[in-house]
Amino acid sequence: MRSPLERYIKKRFRDFDGFSVWAVLITVFIGIPTIFIAVKIFEGPGESWYHIAEYLLPKYIGNSLYLAGLCTVLSVLFGVLSAWFSVRYEFYGRRMLEWLLILPLAIPSYITAYAYAGIFDYGGSLNLLLGWFSLDIGRIDLMNINGLAFILSISLYPYVYVACRAFFLHRSQSLIDASKVLGKGELQHFFKLILPMARPAMVGGVILILMEVLNDYGAAKYYGVNTFTTGIFKSWFGYREPETAVYLAALLLVIIFGLILIEQKQRGARKFAVQGESGRQLQRLKSSTAKKISITTVVALPAFLGFVAPVIQLVYWAAISYVKIDWPSLLQVVLQSLGIAAFAAFSCVLTAMSLLLAKTWNRLEWVNQMSKIGILGYAIPGAVIAVGVYMPSLYFDKWLIGIVGKTFSLKINLLLTGTVIALIYAYVVRFLAVAFNPIAASRENIQLGLIQASQSLGKGAFSTFLKIELPLLKPALLGAFILVFIDVMKELPLTLILKPYDVQTLAIEAYQFASDERVIEAAMPSLLIIATGVLPVVFLNRLVSRN
Amino acid sequence: MLLTINHLYKSFNREKVQAVYDTSLQLEAGKTYAFLGESGSGKTTLARLIAGLERPDRGEIYLNERLISSESYHLPAEKRAIGFVFQHYALFPHLTIAKNIEYGISARPDKRKVVEDMLSLISLEGYGKRYPHEISGGQQQRIALARALAPKPRLILLDEPFSNLDSNLRQELRTEVFTILQKTGVGAIFITHNSEDAMAISDEIAVFKDGRLVQKATPEELYEHPVSPYVAGFFDTLIEMPPSLLSSFGYQVNQHKLYLIRNHDFHFNGFKEFSTDATVISSSRVGRNYLIDVKVGEHVLQVSSEEKPDQSEISISWRERDLLVFPKPDQPV
Amino acid sequence: MKYITLIISCLVMLGSCKSPQEKTEDNPVDQVVNVYTHRHYDVDQQLFEKFEEETGIQVNVVNANADELIQKMEAEGQESPADVLITVDAGRLARAKEKELLQSVSSEFLNSTVPSHLKDEDNHWFALTKRARIIVYAKDRVQPEELSTYEALTEAQWRGKVVIRSSSNIYNQSLLASIIANDGEDSARTWVAGVVQNMARVPKGNDRDQVKAVAAGEGDLAVVNTYYLGRMANSEDAAEVEASSKVGIYFPNQNGRGAHINISGAGVAKYSPNKENAIRFIEYLASKPAQEVFAEANYEYPIHPEVPPTELLQSWGDFKEDQLPLSKLGEYNKLANLIFDAGNWP
Repeated sequence: MRSPLERYIKKRFRDFDGFSVWAVLITVFIGIPTIFIAVKIFEGPGESWYHIAEYLLPKYIGNSLYLAGLCTVLSVLFGVLSAWFSVRYEFYGRRMLEWLLILPLAIPSYITAYAYAGIFDYGGSLNLLLGWFSLDIGRIDLMNINGLAFILSISLYPYVYVACRAFFLHRSQSLIDASKVLGKGELQHFFKLILPMARPAMVGGVILILMEVLNDYGAAKYYGVNTFTTGIFKSWFGYREPETAVYLAALLLVIIFGLILIEQKQRGARKFAVQGESGRQLQRLKSSTAKKISITTVVALPAFLGFVAPVIQLVYWAAISYVKIDWPSLLQVVLQSLGIAAFAAFSCVLTAMSLLLAKTWNRLEWVNQMSKIGILGYAIPGAVIAVGVYMPSLYFDKWLIGIVGKTFSLKINLLLTGTVIALIYAYVVRFLAVAFNPIAASRENIQLGLIQASQSLGKGAFSTFLKIELPLLKPALLGAFILVFIDVMKELPLTLILKPYDVQTLAIEAYQFASDERVIEAAMPSLLIIATGVLPVVFLNRLVSRN
Repeated sequence: MLLTINHLYKSFNREKVQAVYDTSLQLEAGKTYAFLGESGSGKTTLARLIAGLERPDRGEIYLNERLISSESYHLPAEKRAIGFVFQHYALFPHLTIAKNIEYGISARPDKRKVVEDMLSLISLEGYGKRYPHEISGGQQQRIALARALAPKPRLILLDEPFSNLDSNLRQELRTEVFTILQKTGVGAIFITHNSEDAMAISDEIAVFKDGRLVQKATPEELYEHPVSPYVAGFFDTLIEMPPSLLSSFGYQVNQHKLYLIRNHDFHFNGFKEFSTDATVISSSRVGRNYLIDVKVGEHVLQVSSEEKPDQSEISISWRERDLLVFPKPDQPV
Repeated sequence: MKYITLIISCLVMLGSCKSPQEKTEDNPVDQVVNVYTHRHYDVDQQLFEKFEEETGIQVNVVNANADELIQKMEAEGQESPADVLITVDAGRLARAKEKELLQSVSSEFLNSTVPSHLKDEDNHWFALTKRARIIVYAKDRVQPEELSTYEALTEAQWRGKVVIRSSSNIYNQSLLASIIANDGEDSARTWVAGVVQNMARVPKGNDRDQVKAVAAGEGDLAVVNTYYLGRMANSEDAAEVEASSKVGIYFPNQNGRGAHINISGAGVAKYSPNKENAIRFIEYLASKPAQEVFAEANYEYPIHPEVPPTELLQSWGDFKEDQLPLSKLGEYNKLANLIFDAGNWP
């Protein structure tokens, strides 16, 4: 007779095959930094924890919550309204605004923060502009927590906009018609139908925004707002206790996951399937000129605030600091940035695809559950991931040096640490979820029938994947590539810590100028980041609209 | 008159598609109607015009003698009190069954009771707390009906209400919906492409083709005296009888007419008014009847019959009153 | 097409990311010096290139915040490729020494050139440039006679008039550390409480923003570093030039210990693989020609006794420096942080 343990193990491992090994390997490979950090948590915080908990945390948590709350409200307002209007109404410049509304994503939020400081500054662009009309509105002070919430909202609302727009585009007209014949007007359609239905899409966007808000350091620091992340940096660099920093980061993670859980629980039974409805697409409403103008204004506002205004300010700065620009070296930075971002995005998409396949083809539920660790990286602050990558790669290098030294009496150098490989690896860890989620979602939409048809025609899983799934997934893969590409172009803290010698990215170039109080000179690299982000975003939007 | 439609026009795509063309129609209160037509015949557009979901290009619609649509006036859909059951039901996925039914009457104080009444009317008591994705297709259909009935509309439009259901459920639900509508006494219009549905459920049928009303009559009238092959074709499979074939039966042909016979109006070996010799090529059983391919001269006819001829050389015949005669389509009417 | 672009960009990247380690392996004759620096100035790049020309030693640069560089060196330990660490703050150099990341250097030239209070007592690091943290005042509202010391910023007459950066700013941390070192912990606490009470606004922005705030009338006094004033006076942005013209410069504590100064400086890494080159590199940066370049370019005060500062700085006049050994700034940095937090200095 077998023991229960034996039976349990037997059951758990009965279907353990090559795919399971593959899934486990990828998960472990991607999970190393997360696991490394998780282990650190159990070591507890350092001694400065008590000081931080007593003097700083209550304030920092308060600020972070306030910021998170206000950003949620503002970005939902900007994102949902513009998405709804752009899908539902005909107005001036609609086609252009549709993609202009996404572009704020191409600007790192700390750069938007600097640009706005320049606009509202003493003797800033706004005063200059109003001065021409002999107007003086005094000085609007944006550098406070409300101003910060505004900055973060206008630079991050596209996450909500994109999610909601995609959702609205797939709604069928008959829902609106049904509401109409039941006696409801346009406002009621929006508040009673569209808004509640769009909740999952909205929440998805808001969670991404919250993670960015809670991870933000640059903008908050410049605007003099101390947030939870300030605490992380302070305990790391001010009190020199990385363990406390990691502990705080872990707390942050717990808070984020707590929020997600609460939301999911609250949604409860209402988990309705969000799928394309049958029936005709939403009709676009035509309206009077006056109404068209006001809709255009409402829709153009976020795009103007989040993209046009900061870009104008940066162009102005770039123009006045033009002579100082060292073009040859800047060009090299551009090429390096593009190369790194493209390579990282490619690796990320490749890893996401392998993880997805390993998950689908392996038959063990617990392996699939475990593989979720792989996509946790997006919720972890970049600086913390950097440590999680840096330390293990260093251990590995030291171990390798020891082995080689003993066995071959050779002295070799660090193999991974401080190289492009470690940097790319860290990007993959951090941004895997960005690539994984759209690909997984798109793959779910492929009809099972197609795959089964292919299999019944004698093609194996892999060959079905190559011949049927891959061509169908192409738009999603490209989309994922572009999203990661843009994220890597903007990435700062992780790059700062892990980048190798004589590799310079545009984000770092801009940051170094800005942190050295040469904001004006930071304008050119910032504009280049934006330029490299804008083209893919436009392309991505065409991809989304076409489907 | 419950509903009066005068010379209604509606086009889409900058007048490239004439969805509704010069349509006039009068519907009486308390009766059940069916709009019958192929897809693209304009029947759904007409229904949407009646509901106020579209605006006509020209013409008027009156509800209870009151103007609700014209070229210059449009009473919004939400003010018309006309119920609409959509083809895919359009149940709001984020609301419970009860909330779906309550949606159109949310301002009324007795809404709870109405919801309860509606649920019992459609025999789905106790389903109020469920969500649309948790119930079956037939149940969703009835919920959609209840939702449309809850505000007590003067008229209810049902767009292809049974098209998503398999044939067993279809008949069952047809009866049920009919009973429910009878109980409430509301005027109803079924929009359908299925003649069987139309005949089973309506007092009068309006047949549409290419945006025009072709014929409006009771089911019997429509069956007995269809005005065009299109109308007749809805109910039966028709066999066109070209002049050469007709003359082999000994029938005097008018060159300007089109002759058709329903495929089950042929008889074997019996004596009927017009008959000729034929050869049986093949036969197969389809349900209660046989489909039999017979050769008459150069022509092969597929006729339907309850019995199968026991030899291959037979005589085949038909009666004059079963011959459907229409003007030729290319001739002026 | 997309794939071609992708491949090309990857190739470009791989081509441009040459690894210095490989270089040394392939060709051991090649001389290099690996520099971890917080300084990010064009003038540095020029000097590095000049050094390469003169010595044939290739300079590899890692640019990052000092905190991160120290973290990096600490993690790399014996395998660290770093030869030289450059920071813009003595506190960080002192911390690097404390963590045993630097080594003692015996250089006749450096010992004689760098004043003793501007270098580490064990010769672990040496200043390259210096700057003072001073008080600026609104010329139209404040007379310089009303000003005296950092400590005087806590006086009641400045209630709601002092503009100053947040406590996470390293220059403020070093300033507080110097107060702890000079006057003791209790005085430091009193000073923090007093300044917090007198703040015109919640601390925010960078040094330039503090000057602009005074020019805009948000406050009357601000505490800033000298070289930012120099840069503002010569800015491409007309508003900055105007703002800097509205404020006057005051060197505090001239009758006492002198104005608080800080440095940017360099040290040789403990596990430096190219120690000789590292020393030559630092000696070069402290040499007269390099110091002249520093002085001209960045509105910093040179440390070489024979090199005068720029004209603008000369026009501000000479001043008395606090002679406190700068290693104290590192020593008291953590305590300064604690006192800031306890005193609710945001």
